[in-house]
Amino acid sequence: MTTVMRSSLATSLARYRRSWGLWLLLLIAPIGARYMLPIDGTGVIIAIGNQLPEMTSPFLGVSLGIVVSTLMLPIAWLYLRSNTTRRQPWQIEEITPASRVAIALGRFGADVLVLLAMLAALTVAGWFLGWLLVPPRPFNLAEIAFALWLVAAPALMGLAALRVLFDARPLLRSGFGDFLYFVLWIASIAVPAATQGQSPSFATNMVDFAGFVTPLQYGAPGEPGDFAIGGADVEPGHVQLDVMAGLLSPGYIASRWAWAAIAVAIAALAGLIYRPHLTRRRRGKPGRLTTWLAAGPPPRAIADAPPARRASLAWLNLVGAEFKLIGSGRAFWLLAASIAVASALVDFRHMASPAALLLLAFALSAHAGRSEARGLLRLTKTAPFAPMARRAAFVAAGAGWTTLLALPALVRAPALDTLGLAVGTGAAAALIASALASVSGSAFAPRLVLLVLWYGYFSAP
Amino acid sequence: MVSACASDAGAAGIPYQELEAGVVKSGGDVSLELRGISKNYGRKSVLAEVSHTFTPGLTLLTGPSGAGKSTLLRMIATVEKPTRGDILWNGARLPAARGKLRTTLGYAPQAVDLPEDLTAREFAMHMAALKGLSLRAADKQFGAITDAIGLHADINNRIASFSGGMRRRLIFAQALLGARRVLALDEPTAELDAETARKLGALLLERARDAIVVMTTHLADELAPSAIAVLRVEAGMVAHSS
Repeated sequence: MTTVMRSSLATSLARYRRSWGLWLLLLIAPIGARYMLPIDGTGVIIAIGNQLPEMTSPFLGVSLGIVVSTLMLPIAWLYLRSNTTRRQPWQIEEITPASRVAIALGRFGADVLVLLAMLAALTVAGWFLGWLLVPPRPFNLAEIAFALWLVAAPALMGLAALRVLFDARPLLRSGFGDFLYFVLWIASIAVPAATQGQSPSFATNMVDFAGFVTPLQYGAPGEPGDFAIGGADVEPGHVQLDVMAGLLSPGYIASRWAWAAIAVAIAALAGLIYRPHLTRRRRGKPGRLTTWLAAGPPPRAIADAPPARRASLAWLNLVGAEFKLIGSGRAFWLLAASIAVASALVDFRHMASPAALLLLAFALSAHAGRSEARGLLRLTKTAPFAPMARRAAFVAAGAGWTTLLALPALVRAPALDTLGLAVGTGAAAALIASALASVSGSAFAPRLVLLVLWYGYFSAP
Repeated sequence: MVSACASDAGAAGIPYQELEAGVVKSGGDVSLELRGISKNYGRKSVLAEVSHTFTPGLTLLTGPSGAGKSTLLRMIATVEKPTRGDILWNGARLPAARGKLRTTLGYAPQAVDLPEDLTAREFAMHMAALKGLSLRAADKQFGAITDAIGLHADINNRIASFSGGMRRRLIFAQALLGARRVLALDEPTAELDAETARKLGALLLERARDAIVVMTTHLADELAPSAIAVLRVEAGMVAHSS
């Protein structure tokens, strides 16, 4: 088992080392930190009461931890999920007697090492930023690193564990897995707010997976609680925040160790519940729903059908084909019809439009991903329509879908705003999906980014 | 290294001679000329000074694995550019004439990342749209092609459920969509059983009446009697046999 684990770790690390994305990941963390840090009212504001905390070494460490929770958790997920280690030769590997637990733990170890390397890069960047920002107050390298690693390392280990777990089951390997991760990530940031105002204990800290709530509220002067992260309005002046008191508060360090241990346990569990990729054989007749969702029998073949002629409006033809392929499958049509009907009845901006975009986030990323697969691109490049023309048609078709779904709302209350919103959101989503899929060659990156953007659109006033 | 190639028919295998008596050749008004083309990958030379003019009919590319057959086919299919030399379509140089060539080109590579979640028919319509074809007419033609090669019953099934041979037939079928004058096919008969390979060969020979059909194949002995030329590629060099 140890040999398998060691081999799994070594081969995964070797493949990570040869991936250019790793260098990008190591760069994104410090650059993101520079632009997200709450420096004199710019960046992401962390307010205690209505004031900014004084920039001290431990507070800088916690702020960098917040950068990890808000920015790096989805980006690192993107990297781990789409990196080369995921493309394992599973057809061969799955028929070996090697322990799946050992393989899972080996890959988990490699993921953790990569994420901790990113954290180390962020720590060095934090020291440099601290040297610029913290003086004349006491500047302490160890306190920056201690606060950052205590907050972020268990969260990153949890991310690595989820990556291994989500690779273990067929359903979680799919787009549903990405959606579930997105939900878990949002929950990990939002749920700790429930403990705001409570005295810290092991139990309350265990709710705080991201790990930044206690350090922010426990060291605040006066009553615990009342802090805001994001676009808060702040008053002049600074508040004294004793972050070290929060980090050393009852149950906090124990909870961080507990999360690290849970991450290791999840990785081992992933090995135990691992299910092979091999195609499942259906037993018995397919159900009614499966039959209904299937495309049905093919039309009768006409043996002497002539060669297809060129379309008279070839570009329009291409847009039409993209439109059909974005909305392929009866399940999509059923959901689309429901949204279209709902758009006539509910608030368009806050209900119907987000629902349409959520459906299209999956449909657009799926079609963009399949069209941009490297092996397929080599074939489609030989067609008269260049890949860029197809991408333009894809964007037009995306805008067409959101417009179609908004039609009942437009019929009920014709408004340029509604039309503009429908066309604009569809075109923007398609453009993002197409650009990210062409860079990554898969549906995964556009799906996750569209989900994150969708959440922003849905929650915006 | 240059080696000669015999175009004698193999004794065993598929009786193409029964399908087509003699060489399939017809008068055609198209030509694809390779003029002294070479291909290097870094310092490694894959093809050197290859010259040949393709005219309508079947041309086979034979030779050992890694000899440069697929590289030559990719250059014919406009996927890759030669390091040196020219490719001319009806007398006009590529890349200037590439657009015109692509309007009439069908290409079937050895392996494609097929979109697993689409049905074969949806994928074919995607390719037809990119080729600028009428989707309704292309759907009918796809039905006829797949019927001829024994894939029709499965065209509404998802590609994820396809076997290796079915995938190969699908890649072949999309190459034939439209009125193609140039077909570049990389091992279209690999992974196929003898009966299916025979059907596919028959369809190809029919197309070769007015189209340039260039294919790499491990069934050269069986197809050679029907070919207008067999090019043996070995160590980056090409020997002709017509």
